[in-house]
Amino acid sequence: MWETLAQAVINGLLIGGIYALVSIGVTLIFGVVKIVNFAQGEFVMIGMYISFFLATQFGIDPLVSLVVSMPVLFLAGVLIQHFLIRRVLGPNDMPQIFLTFALSLLLLNLSLMLFSANYRTVHTSYSDEAWHIGGLYIPVAKLIAFAVAMALSGLLWVFLHTTDLGRAMRAASQNRDVAMLMGINPNRVFAVAFGTALALAGAAGSLLMPFYSAYPFVGQVFVLMAFVAVVMGTLGNVMGALVASLMMGVAESLGIQFVGADSGLIVVFALLLLTLAFRPSGLGARRGR
Amino acid sequence: MQTSGNMKWLWLAIGAVVMLALPQLVTSSFAIDILIRILLFSFIGVAWNLMGGYAKQLSLGHAAYFGLGAYTSTIMQVNYGISPWIGMIAGGMVAMLASLPIGWLCFRLRGPYFTIATIATAQVLMLIFLKFRDFAWGAEGTTIPNLGSAPLMMQFEEKSSYYYVVLGLLLVGLWITHQIEKSWIGYYLVAIGEDEDAAEAIGVNAPKVKRDIYMISAFLTALAGTFYTQYIYFIDPATAFSFSVSIEAALVSIVGGIGTLWGPVIGTVLLETTSALLQSWLGSSVGGIQLTVYSLILMAVILWRPTGLIGFATDVYHRYVRRKPARA
Repeated sequence: MWETLAQAVINGLLIGGIYALVSIGVTLIFGVVKIVNFAQGEFVMIGMYISFFLATQFGIDPLVSLVVSMPVLFLAGVLIQHFLIRRVLGPNDMPQIFLTFALSLLLLNLSLMLFSANYRTVHTSYSDEAWHIGGLYIPVAKLIAFAVAMALSGLLWVFLHTTDLGRAMRAASQNRDVAMLMGINPNRVFAVAFGTALALAGAAGSLLMPFYSAYPFVGQVFVLMAFVAVVMGTLGNVMGALVASLMMGVAESLGIQFVGADSGLIVVFALLLLTLAFRPSGLGARRGR
Repeated sequence: MQTSGNMKWLWLAIGAVVMLALPQLVTSSFAIDILIRILLFSFIGVAWNLMGGYAKQLSLGHAAYFGLGAYTSTIMQVNYGISPWIGMIAGGMVAMLASLPIGWLCFRLRGPYFTIATIATAQVLMLIFLKFRDFAWGAEGTTIPNLGSAPLMMQFEEKSSYYYVVLGLLLVGLWITHQIEKSWIGYYLVAIGEDEDAAEAIGVNAPKVKRDIYMISAFLTALAGTFYTQYIYFIDPATAFSFSVSIEAALVSIVGGIGTLWGPVIGTVLLETTSALLQSWLGSSVGGIQLTVYSLILMAVILWRPTGLIGFATDVYHRYVRRKPARA
């Protein structure tokens, strides 16, 4: 019983690390640019396909292709922010929600047309390896993904807290108008925030590739988790998103273990609805906004 | 404005005659099918637009009510032999009741997070219907027993009869929208849509107004669900709570003209015609092409004409046909 429980918690934490990369991206964009990126999951999908093609065409290990997927998606993020998002920033919600939503639909269906709905997998030397520690089973690929995800989250935290640009981003997320009065260039800050968020999504994609199949709809799984985690962890709060993502991973895994294989999502949604009912501003919220 | 009033009635009369005669003139079953789809999604768009368009509560979870309507009437019909005409109203009631707790949860959030919460509620309902097979057939779904020609059970031999049913639904939806648009509640909705805090500050009871309009919107969407199930003779959680229903409800309104009476209808005509043309040119072999085109249209509208096709048409009209009197 305890072993099953511990195993479920470990499985959840490991996948929760990937959820964290996605939700940190969502919360970063929400915090700085003040929009919700409905297309975040599709960038995970693009990261996966980049790694898949590099692996099948050039034999590059998915973990190595991180150095391709992250910069490519960073650039994509900067361009999307500059040419699309910038044009709809303003007090009106409708264009913002439906622009990123349209982007999500577009990327999803384009990849359906280009790559078909087939599941693509990459088999690496460590895909089937696992450590056995006292009856517990720890798959190496997932452990590496978790470790890299945590390292990237840590790097982002250091970036946000020690560099001028990072401080400028945090300032812009706390109070955009005052930040602009202090001489912070909002367009530059927004572009970097969007690019960073997409780079994290790309990293999540590459890290997933050794143990997860790529298909056009794959992003939907992750973006739903990310939205729930971001709502639970208080909108715009990077630390909150990280902690909530790990919790979501564990909750989903416990749901699968103890309620039924198809019940992971029900548990996650139940958590979301409970959060909304009792702590609508999120678990990490201070009073007021 | 006597003359313009008369003109309006003339246009409405012409429109009514055309709409009534259309299924008699069009004989191809493919074409009637498209017409029915256009009317059905116009109706769903009209229902969405009441809340999403006027009050700007941008839901992407209207499939929840579509599915509840579909399942209520089907369960009543298949298990108890009750006519879907009654089941339709019952489904609307169920949807109204369901909108109370869902609204209570979702309206705590504003803007994009309201949208996400509505997506989640529709997904939860789908998962519930997938999981609990005892009262609703689980993932396999069920077919509706075909009784041949049974108008009392909402089953017809002629496709044109379905056309008239859904035309009636659309007219009811448009009439309700028209009544709301010109009443005080319409102004309240627009005020909430513009700025909820400001609306509350001048005495609009925003939570109550939003709750009421959500109930009406849910009721109408559920009627569409019953009709659709009767039309395709089949129900399962994936079609009844399909995310694409939620998407299309919002899309047609935005493309046509958000928060306008005719916007959803015009948007549906454009999108469904495009989709039918694509289908006849390319066949259904290329997966994803329809939504690719939809999303490009949506992006173009948002970036260049956020007021939709109606806004575009009025701009053109005032520019070239009749100059708008200068605003004070």
